[in-house]
Amino acid sequence: MAVSEEIIQDIAKCAETCIAPDGKEWRVIGLKAVASVTQARAVSARRVEIAALEQGIIPRRYLRNMGTIGPDGQIKLLRSAVAVVGAGGLGGTTIELLARQGIGHIAIIDGDRFAEEDLNRQLMSTEEDLGEYKAIIAGRRVKEINSAIAVTTFVRRLTRRNARQLLKDAKVVVDGLDNLSSRFAVEEACRDLGIPFVYGTIAGFSGQLMTIFPEDVGLSSIYGPSRGLPERGIETKTGNPSATAAMVAAWQVQEVVKVITGVGKPLRNHLLMLDAGEGVVDEIELTRQ
Amino acid sequence: MASITIRFYSLWRLYLGKDCVSLDADNVEEALAQLEERFGSQLREQLQARGIKVDGKMQDYSLVLLNGINLRNVKESKLREGDILHVLPPGAGG
Repeated sequence: MAVSEEIIQDIAKCAETCIAPDGKEWRVIGLKAVASVTQARAVSARRVEIAALEQGIIPRRYLRNMGTIGPDGQIKLLRSAVAVVGAGGLGGTTIELLARQGIGHIAIIDGDRFAEEDLNRQLMSTEEDLGEYKAIIAGRRVKEINSAIAVTTFVRRLTRRNARQLLKDAKVVVDGLDNLSSRFAVEEACRDLGIPFVYGTIAGFSGQLMTIFPEDVGLSSIYGPSRGLPERGIETKTGNPSATAAMVAAWQVQEVVKVITGVGKPLRNHLLMLDAGEGVVDEIELTRQ
Repeated sequence: MASITIRFYSLWRLYLGKDCVSLDADNVEEALAQLEERFGSQLREQLQARGIKVDGKMQDYSLVLLNGINLRNVKESKLREGDILHVLPPGAGG
């Protein structure tokens, strides 16, 4: 009997019935059962989860994802790699949510270490981990949340020179950066590689985001040409309170889910601006010359 | 002379107390001059009151987009009826 058939049989034996809040009946498999099949068949937990989903048996941990993306969407997420550039305010929350959503492979790129001033908003930072590399701590956190996920950490700063190499395996790239030159470098690399890029930025109580496909308008429409731009913006004066990064990062994760699963409509060619200070959401339709 | 709309966003909207104004101008330079004359000192005062110092005219420390594209990319200066200038603070944090 082929290994995959044995895995399917093991999964079927472990499956239970679960009634969702709406009364719908699901066949599910729990964490312990996934671990048991993983060990017995010497395969990855992700492979077991995908095999279960293909049989219509839902790993319990993804049960609340089913109403929006269904088993097929979850399989697509588990088979996808997402790169997060920067593991600070935006990136830290993005990584946490991608792990919970069940992205199969998360690559984390950040050369910085945690400092005390990060504690107000950078979800991965703790008092205990001050001075540690953000990428390493974030990678560890992903495995704590979801051990089925593969994690690759790059403790280095992304540059125009290394961007393609770092991002080439990603299906989607997420912006967790804090400067404009790196953002332009990521956008350029993503266009060359044909990968969608989920841009986001924050300042004070406000933030903005959009998803840039290779053929879409992008950062140049917002900022103009990259040459001559300052590295940072008004956030150096307004700071970034605790919730602004989480507000924008949460929507960036929704963009990733939509791009990979095909469910919903990504925010393309429109800059979405969330102004929590004034309680206003704006959209600018971007154009190119 | 074209009648155009100027839209303010985020902190600029908060500090100026309005989200859009209309003005008449023939070209971008004329519109920016009117913008500076009507709102420049008010915005700088509001920013300075919060300890934020900026230099230059509004367009020097703002992102300004004409009909959805940054002005630095726009070669044609002439304005048309119904054009929109988007004026917002530059953000780059993460």
